Amino acid sequence: MKYDTVIVGSGPAGSVTAYFAAKNGAKVLMCERRAEIGSPILCGEGISKQIDDFEMLKGNRRWIANNMDGAHVYSPDGTMVTLAAEKAGNETGYVVYRDIFDQSLAQKAAQAGTEIMMNTQVTGLLKEKGKIIGVKAKQFNKDIEIQADVVVGADGVDSKVGLWAGLPTTLKPYDLETCAQYTLTNVKVDRAYCEFYLGKQLAPGGYVWVFPKSDTVANVGIGILASLHEAGRAKQLLDQFIQARPHLKQGAPFRFLAGAVPVAMPIDSVADNLLLVGDAARHVDPITGGGLTTALQGGQCAGETIAQAVDQQQFDKDTLFVYETRWKELFLRKLKRNYMVKELFLDFDDKTINMLADSLKDYNFDEINTLGLVKALVSKHPTLLMKLKPLLKFSK
Amino acid sequence: MAKPKAKVNQTKCLACCGCISICPQDAVIWLAGKAYIIPEKCISCALCIRSCPVGAIAGEGYE
Repeated sequence: MKYDTVIVGSGPAGSVTAYFAAKNGAKVLMCERRAEIGSPILCGEGISKQIDDFEMLKGNRRWIANNMDGAHVYSPDGTMVTLAAEKAGNETGYVVYRDIFDQSLAQKAAQAGTEIMMNTQVTGLLKEKGKIIGVKAKQFNKDIEIQADVVVGADGVDSKVGLWAGLPTTLKPYDLETCAQYTLTNVKVDRAYCEFYLGKQLAPGGYVWVFPKSDTVANVGIGILASLHEAGRAKQLLDQFIQARPHLKQGAPFRFLAGAVPVAMPIDSVADNLLLVGDAARHVDPITGGGLTTALQGGQCAGETIAQAVDQQQFDKDTLFVYETRWKELFLRKLKRNYMVKELFLDFDDKTINMLADSLKDYNFDEINTLGLVKALVSKHPTLLMKLKPLLKFSK
Repeated sequence: MAKPKAKVNQTKCLACCGCISICPQDAVIWLAGKAYIIPEKCISCALCIRSCPVGAIAGEGYE
């Protein structure tokens, strides 16, 4: 079996890479270790309305569960800050059905000519004289070899493809969010707003989210920084949060999931004959943990770069580096800035977060930008200037 | 006495893959929909145990 590219993993980043590579003439194979694309769901299912412009998602939109106006952010003492949808980051806009979402993208990839193999777990790289020439895989119980000029690691937070190629994919505990989530029915929520709850006691190094799928169904989840986590703590703290809130406590779960989200700086995403996309490349907003938008954007850059490489029949790192240059132009600055904000935030105690929320609760968020935000905070709390100063270089 | 090795309780594991992402020794793999720790590679650092959201990993001497 010989392909131009083999894509390991059929999540959004994999399918989008496959689609744009195949559409532009490449012979593409996508491998999925599970028996169904998009299942089980491992996601809070929030996504920004930025995706309205994304070509692959136009047309049938039955993957949308709910359309939101914005987000309510609660500080530890309950002070509420409201953000309009376009300002609230990657998680606000739509709540989606991730299984249908992933399957829609995979179908588009297939329509563009991508071949798909299920129950196929890639187990290593295939090499010839040190050069990557494809992957080894287990399909059900059968060992197979797949030759390809470009191997794409779309294999998620726990990427092995990157590791095998010598890219630094192992995450440090302070760069990983440990998550748990219930999908609850029979709750009472305002479907126009998602909610974020902050606090060192509530969710150390992370937050609790409530993403409404309707007036009575919501994803209620928690993320905790792994460096502040102890065995089983995510589930315990999530259970406590729900038990303390009558409108959620009355609900019944019909799904429970555990998850892991990289909140790291992006890594080198390209090697000779190989590249990484999506969570595998750490294309995730370090503040929110949202990675869908960047997976789609990065996947398009990757797919188009691969198609160009196929035209030129050159697959070295320099040729594939077009991909890295393009995604860096699109979102490196934002990921870097938000990583810095993540680190700043870890230093803040609950008292500081309450104070910040109190300063921002009447702020006009239609005019938000980094400079405006820092100015607004510092005008009320001059001592914050030193801490917030590093952010100013991102203000233009 | 040999150092205790971390072990996944396959019934509790929800395959979130956090332990696979964090293991500094590449000792944790995805096997038939669950995490599995290769004992020979485990260095008993307990990172996987601490980061498991549902407490599905244990090792003798850690609890």
